Amino acid sequence: MHRQSTIARFTDVTKRFGKNVAVDRLDLDITQGEFVTLLGPSGCGKSTTLRMLGGFEMPDEGRILLAGEDVTRLPPNRRDVNMVFQDYALFPHMTVAGNIAFGLELQGHGRAAIDARVSELLELVQLGSFRDRMPDQLSGGQRQRVALARALAREPKLLLLDEPLGALDAKLRGQVQIELKALQQRTGKTFLFVTHDQEEALTMSDRIIVMNAGRIEQDGTPEELYHRPRSRFVADFIGETNLFACQVRGSENGQIVLDWNGILLHAAAGSPDGRTAVEAALRPESIRLTTGRPDQANALQMRIVRRVFKGSRIDLDLEAQDGDARLKASADPAAIEDLAGDKVWASWDPGRLAILQG
Amino acid sequence: MATTSERTGNDAALIRPQDGTRGFWTRLTANPAYRQASDLLLSSDRRRFWLLAVPALIWMFGTHLGPILTMIRISFMDSYPPTAGRIPEMTLENYLLFFQAPNYITPFVRTFVYSTCYTLLTLLLMYPIAYFLAKKLRPGRQMLFLLLLLVPFWVGEIVRTYAIMILLGNRGFLNIVLMGLGLTSRPIPFMYTGFSLGMGLVYLTSLYMLLPLYASLEKIPRNYLEAAADLGAGSWTRFRRVTLPLSKDGIASGCVLVFLISTGYYATPVLLGGPSTTVFAETIAGFFHVAGDKWPEGAAFSTIMLLASLVTVGLFLRLLGRRRGNLLG
Amino acid sequence: MMRPSQIALTTFYWAFIVYLFLPLALMVVMGFKDSNFIGFPINAWTTRWYVQVFQDTAVLHAFGYTLLIAIASTLLSLVIGIWCAVFLGPARFWGRALVFAVMCLPAVIPGVISAISMRIFIRAIGMEPGTGAIILGLTIHNVPFVALMVLSRLGAMPRSQVEAARDLGADSLVAFLRVTLPFLFPSLLGASIFCMLLSFDDFVRAFFLGGYQPTLPVLIFAELRSGMSPAINAISTVVLVVTAALGLWAERGTRRLKGTRR
Repeated sequence: MHRQSTIARFTDVTKRFGKNVAVDRLDLDITQGEFVTLLGPSGCGKSTTLRMLGGFEMPDEGRILLAGEDVTRLPPNRRDVNMVFQDYALFPHMTVAGNIAFGLELQGHGRAAIDARVSELLELVQLGSFRDRMPDQLSGGQRQRVALARALAREPKLLLLDEPLGALDAKLRGQVQIELKALQQRTGKTFLFVTHDQEEALTMSDRIIVMNAGRIEQDGTPEELYHRPRSRFVADFIGETNLFACQVRGSENGQIVLDWNGILLHAAAGSPDGRTAVEAALRPESIRLTTGRPDQANALQMRIVRRVFKGSRIDLDLEAQDGDARLKASADPAAIEDLAGDKVWASWDPGRLAILQG
Repeated sequence: MATTSERTGNDAALIRPQDGTRGFWTRLTANPAYRQASDLLLSSDRRRFWLLAVPALIWMFGTHLGPILTMIRISFMDSYPPTAGRIPEMTLENYLLFFQAPNYITPFVRTFVYSTCYTLLTLLLMYPIAYFLAKKLRPGRQMLFLLLLLVPFWVGEIVRTYAIMILLGNRGFLNIVLMGLGLTSRPIPFMYTGFSLGMGLVYLTSLYMLLPLYASLEKIPRNYLEAAADLGAGSWTRFRRVTLPLSKDGIASGCVLVFLISTGYYATPVLLGGPSTTVFAETIAGFFHVAGDKWPEGAAFSTIMLLASLVTVGLFLRLLGRRRGNLLG
Repeated sequence: MMRPSQIALTTFYWAFIVYLFLPLALMVVMGFKDSNFIGFPINAWTTRWYVQVFQDTAVLHAFGYTLLIAIASTLLSLVIGIWCAVFLGPARFWGRALVFAVMCLPAVIPGVISAISMRIFIRAIGMEPGTGAIILGLTIHNVPFVALMVLSRLGAMPRSQVEAARDLGADSLVAFLRVTLPFLFPSLLGASIFCMLLSFDDFVRAFFLGGYQPTLPVLIFAELRSGMSPAINAISTVVLVVTAALGLWAERGTRRLKGTRR
């Protein structure tokens, strides 16, 4: 049985740049062995948080602990974390091996040991034959792998990754995402990853922390964030959402009954917490489309007004009969082949309708 | 390879001889004395800053300002170097001396008039060259053509001044050509005149005008001119209303540089000029060849020249509508 | 193909090139004249003046002396210039503009004033005119140029380079020596060549700050004061060849270096 220990902890950390509060009273725990992603738009404080852990920025208030030790004021070279930079920051005048060995040379190891470790790392990132190449002879993807190997060389407690996939093209990025995740699982290292790309975050993370204006909006697994967003920001930021402004009518069988412009809906995610007016979020792909009325609490008669072919999905705009309500749905092309005409029933599981927090 | 210890300081350097010899950097950073010094001096941003700042500031303020300030201080003394047993008194005599004799004022005025004229002449000569380089050549060729212009400048002021002397002498190249063409029967005395001095100064300082001009013209994006043409401007109008104003910075830098440098030459006026073209640099130098006692006067005159130069430059820049910024770029 | 303005400008350029090179060419040619007097026409040719140059101990001493001073002041200027550039750096701090202005000062003061103020200064600090004084004067003059060239290159270095080095365990000094300095190398090469040329060509400082032994420009100047002769031409031509060769070699070197390094 693995003992889950906290490897990094932010306590009440604040960072200001002039008048701008980049990080606002942040409390965060990172557990050993997880792949955590900080996700958010530009300026939300995710990079600043990462850099504070790395030692490149000093917090104005609060403490940062690494494996129990207070590292708040320590310079980067005294911390047992390493970073993969956005531009990789490979040293142009050193070979691949030289780059990877750089950190090891500063750890007191002998030449033979260093060489062995460098070989080991090159194998790990599958660049075995690139030992003596110079960085300007490598492609973007190869450089990124060297940066990764270099950062892993000193066996840091935590690996920081600052939007390392931004410079890669879409196809390569997809591949690298999978490889990175596999690498993390294989080595068992804790990865703290920063990105603004929500798809990337969903693909790779064990846990996503959505940040906005220096604060944590929501902290949870990709599943939780996707299907049970707690705030409008999170619902909007990740994927597409339908938002319902409703009045709370009560509860029934453990589900909350909501009144949406006269239509009754059942929600089984989130909680009104005593409020009478709430917003609820529903993902487009959670909507099932059928010709006949389904046996489901949440079912509406709608009309398809637009289809957009997206390759593996078809996005549909739905309109209620009286033209008031509009919904977005996203369906598997095969699933809606059998629909006759534009009139459909849209239905969804109450568990997919998430009440947002205030 | 063993893992490091549990401490996050990561300074548990394992020394295992069987790992092979340790490289220079490894040994340096593992050395306890070095680590102590590094922790003490380099660990915080503030300490690093002051560590860098103190020697740099001492050097800069000491050696850049020191000589000027010393010179100003000396200029107020009545004798320097100090004679034993006598404390020099402060006086304005040395400055008043300047205003008392025409053979001090004349070279002064002449220097400034000459320098201004030569500066403008250099501007007029070098602007077309800079324009040619920046606008009429492909970037690859620009480098080559520029390089060709640079070569003579590496040679040094004395050698180049001498070369001008050979050109302009009574039996120099110019005279031989003129006489050969029958344009004159006797050699024209070019040397030791304002003409020879001017030719020498322009010869020596053209690069300092060219480079800033070239840099500023080069920066003007092509599409500004294309847009102007598109809007109906002819080439002269384009030049007058787009290129010229945008090269103002270059003109300012170039003129200031050339002006300051040309007032500062000593050897060239001595070699190429004559008694009728004595420049102030020569006057000042005169005070220092006599051993000892005339230094305060020389210092005062130097200070006057420095002030006048700064004022002239200041006025010029004000005229051009710029605050004094980075002169060299 | 060529518009009239293009033709005019091209002609002007080449005319100017002629203007620049002609006097120097004349000077070289005159060094082969078999006569004790400078002037056209040249009726007889000889190489004796050039032979004499390499045998004249005064010239050889002056050449070696000048070289020595140039190397010494270049090394000093490099160290101090790099230090000042790293201090000023891309970072902003209060008073930076003022410090920057003070740093550029020696480059913009008129030469004769700079030399004379130095002369007074060294007297005030108890130094005698001579080798040390010249080296000091040259260094003070050259440091701003080195600093500016280094600053420019420093500004092109991505911040992440040094951060990566520090992340991997280097303190500021090690990061500077192992990452920043190699990055600066092309500009250092350019700066040192530039300093060598400036020092080699300098006249005013060597003249006012020098002691008994003259530098080459001072020697040539003194000779010229007593009259022109082909001997001086020969010396001058040698100086021309050396400095031009140095400059060209440097240009090619920096060009190639900038091509291969990022």
